[in-house]
Amino acid sequence: MSAALTWARVSYRQQRWELLLVVLGTALTAAAMLWFAAELRSLAAAHPGCVDGSVTGCKGIADRLDGLQAIGMRLLYLSFVAPFGMGVLLGAPLVAREIDGGTAQLAWTLSRSRMSWLLRRIAFVALVTLVLLGVLAVTSEILAAALQPTADLGHDFTWIGRRGWLIGARGAAALMIGLLVGALIGRVLPAILAAILVIGLTFTGVSLVQDRWLAAEAEVARFGFEGTTSLPAGSLLLDSGLQTPEGTNYTWQEAQARGLEVRVVDEQGRQYASNADLAAGRVLGVDIQFFVPGSRYPVAVAREGAVGAGLGLAALGLAALVVRRRRPL
Amino acid sequence: MTVLEARGLAKRYRRGVWALGGIDLAIPGGGVTALVGPNAAGKSTLIKTWVGFERPTRGTANVMGLDPWRDRSRALANVGYVPQSPALYDGLSVEDHLDLAVQLRRGFDRAAARARLDQLGIPRSSGARSLSGGQQAQVALALALGTRAPVLLLDEPLASLDPLARREFLHVVTDAVRTDGTTVLLSSHIVTDVEQACDRLIVLGVGRVLLHETVAEALGRHGITAGAVVGGFSTFRGPDGEPISLVAGAGERPATLEELVLGYLASGRSTAEVAA
Repeated sequence: MSAALTWARVSYRQQRWELLLVVLGTALTAAAMLWFAAELRSLAAAHPGCVDGSVTGCKGIADRLDGLQAIGMRLLYLSFVAPFGMGVLLGAPLVAREIDGGTAQLAWTLSRSRMSWLLRRIAFVALVTLVLLGVLAVTSEILAAALQPTADLGHDFTWIGRRGWLIGARGAAALMIGLLVGALIGRVLPAILAAILVIGLTFTGVSLVQDRWLAAEAEVARFGFEGTTSLPAGSLLLDSGLQTPEGTNYTWQEAQARGLEVRVVDEQGRQYASNADLAAGRVLGVDIQFFVPGSRYPVAVAREGAVGAGLGLAALGLAALVVRRRRPL
Repeated sequence: MTVLEARGLAKRYRRGVWALGGIDLAIPGGGVTALVGPNAAGKSTLIKTWVGFERPTRGTANVMGLDPWRDRSRALANVGYVPQSPALYDGLSVEDHLDLAVQLRRGFDRAAARARLDQLGIPRSSGARSLSGGQQAQVALALALGTRAPVLLLDEPLASLDPLARREFLHVVTDAVRTDGTTVLLSSHIVTDVEQACDRLIVLGVGRVLLHETVAEALGRHGITAGAVVGGFSTFRGPDGEPISLVAGAGERPATLEELVLGYLASGRSTAEVAA
């Protein structure tokens, strides 16, 4: 216990302002999320008819509901940004400040091994970060549930990455990437700036990979009079396009690239290249949408979570290697 | 027994500068060895190689027979280190530093470190930031001595201390040598800083060892002659600006330790100029 307290004290004293800022920011965000969720729930409970639209003449209630929902959704943006912010603010200075301030010389000559020092040094900050991310994960889910009271959010792509435990996975990975950048650079401010860049690029890459993965799993829904008029609840709309009479699916971009240009649409929603084709009955295709059903949400989240965990572990391993080999100044 | 050893040790930094040009050294156990040389002579690089902070470009460096780069944990178990500017944790008290040392180093002697600090009147509850430069150096020394390591590497710890603080620092060092038999390597670019404490001398210049022997032997082998000797390799200016030379043998008068070092540095510089 004494050892844990010593390391907690070292970590806190070394990163007091960053920790206070992050804890305060998270506490305020979480409290705001819970408050808005409670307000939305109590409004819905007090005026169920106004909320579900079955009763007319409750403009005041509807306006208040709209206002609460608008702010609630902005709060969910905060929970999207928070994990990356934590990675930058708490991860980057961890080793960088020890090197920058010269204390790494003291610690690395006193320590049995730099690896054991690193693990003890990051333990407290990692624990605090995980707790804060956990708080955000839970409160964001509570707010999302209040914003979409009828949705099954466990199988719904709405606000993916802004709620739930994906926040935790992203934050843990960002923390370790920040740690790695800080260990490499060894100066606090440059490390923070570089961490913003590296974390931003890394997660843009992860997002692109996830998009491709989801695109490969996409299902197709026909639209218009011959098909559906809305996607299944909780689906993630990826793209829209055209299905030829032979059954080939193209996104609009692909269709354009192949010279399939729609100029005329008939009353049944069938599409033609020209009026002559319409007259001749040469159908070009019908409207389609590419989507991933909400049932795939847990898989998508688990997959990105695993990628985040893998990235985090890889970054931690690399940081350990850097700390092992680099100069302490 | 050789405690610190370097064999053909060379270190080149990324920007192409050679800090050490292939030196051979074997420092025996016990006593205080002064590592003297001008700025950029390679003193810090040599010490940092023995602490495992620098990887040799060529050659080997060993502490008690262990390579501090390849076998860092075991080699460092034998070393206590005080860096040039004792960087303590700003937000931690002196006692917190002792707690940290206990966590980091198995067998850290907290009681001895406390006793040493108390003897020097350094308040253990004070924050490291509030201490004077001399007190910070003493805390760093107490931490290094608390490891009970048989080798103590002190990298210009006196550079920023006032004369009184220097004297107190050196007193603690010599006391540790006397009571614990610690081997101390103390670097400085000012020989008068370390004169009172050292019994062995290494003069390092432009990355080479210019002199390595006991102080008594070195002083016994050299003398001072007025004016420049033939070749003038060990000629330097005396206190009044007159040229004087360090010579092998008795000379016109015995050399002081400072003159011995200045003569060897002048010799090293001239050799380097000739080589260039």
